[in-house]
Amino acid sequence: MARISVDKLEPGMRLLKPVLNKSGMTLLAEGTELSETWIRRIQDMEIESIHVDAPVEPAVPKEEMLEQLDRRFRNVENKPYMGLIKRSVQEHIEEMYR
Amino acid sequence: MDVQVLRSRVENINTLPTIPGVLKHLSAIIENPKVSLSEISHFVSNDPSLTTKVLKMVNSAVYGFPGRISSVTHAIMLLGLNVVKGLLLGISVFEVMQKAMLGLREHSLGCAVTARLIAQKKGLKEPEEVSVGALLHDIGKVILALEFPAEYESAMNTAQTRGIPIVEAEKTAFPEAHAAVGAWLAQKWRFPRGLVDMIEYHHCPNLSKSASLETAIVHFSDVLVHARGLGFAGDDTVAAVDPAAFELLRFSQDDIKEILRGLEDSIESSEEPWLDT
Repeated sequence: MARISVDKLEPGMRLLKPVLNKSGMTLLAEGTELSETWIRRIQDMEIESIHVDAPVEPAVPKEEMLEQLDRRFRNVENKPYMGLIKRSVQEHIEEMYR
Repeated sequence: MDVQVLRSRVENINTLPTIPGVLKHLSAIIENPKVSLSEISHFVSNDPSLTTKVLKMVNSAVYGFPGRISSVTHAIMLLGLNVVKGLLLGISVFEVMQKAMLGLREHSLGCAVTARLIAQKKGLKEPEEVSVGALLHDIGKVILALEFPAEYESAMNTAQTRGIPIVEAEKTAFPEAHAAVGAWLAQKWRFPRGLVDMIEYHHCPNLSKSASLETAIVHFSDVLVHARGLGFAGDDTVAAVDPAAFELLRFSQDDIKEILRGLEDSIESSEEPWLDT
């Protein structure tokens, strides 16, 4: 999934999340295929970015994310269940980069 | 500082100069035991920016009703008066949260989402109430940091230099830590006992008598959001999970990963509540 800036939208991309107005009401439903008209309308609204079906990785590199994880757990790794919790978060982080 | 002095300063939140007007008015309305649904609706609808924020929040992925709630009265019908009271307070507190502690808002929202996901997974009847408990669990930090900035900064430094959780560091600077402070406020606002427990015992869920599962959920959500490194809540270390609380939830590694994926999806899909400053 990718959140991309509205000026980079191209026809044929599909919405992964609905486009909502300021009160949270749905304007365009999830799964809508973007036409040139829809893209122009979205660009006319005060929206900066939307979710479309293009892959993207988190902004922070994986190694840094894992290093921070080690640091956060440095005092509790041997406490009951903390190893299990840490492994779960670690696998979760690794899957974010796949 | 004497504990009674601290408590009376906190309970007189309506007169504190650092607290924004909306929160003071709201607090005065909510602490009235006879407050009615229509008085709350009336107060909110006279404040268009608050109305927008409440609707944005309930329609976001933080709560389970994306794009379906069109009015504050509708929200009260679907979510119940206590949840809406909690949301209103949560939203008004967010206004000052970033000033009190950068990142506490992301931490609180992350906990609210995680707690709702877990409550649903556990089949609880009112997952929104658990979610509001998680949203407000650190409200005591906001009040302490705003009202006693010098003392709070020294507590944060202590947490940093000694590598201890902020709740431990707070006890070196204050007679009571943020959980007790939050509980005083929750009682003042006449929240049900279960919700008070979720705030008061989020570090020691085994002490909760009236809402042990709900309090365990808020506690575990707090641990997990720290573990994921989302936001900032005054310290950079994860606190150890309470073993009894974890055994009550009995999550496998796959369960935890599923919860984290749900959290990630919510962050991605609800741009506004996460990114507004």
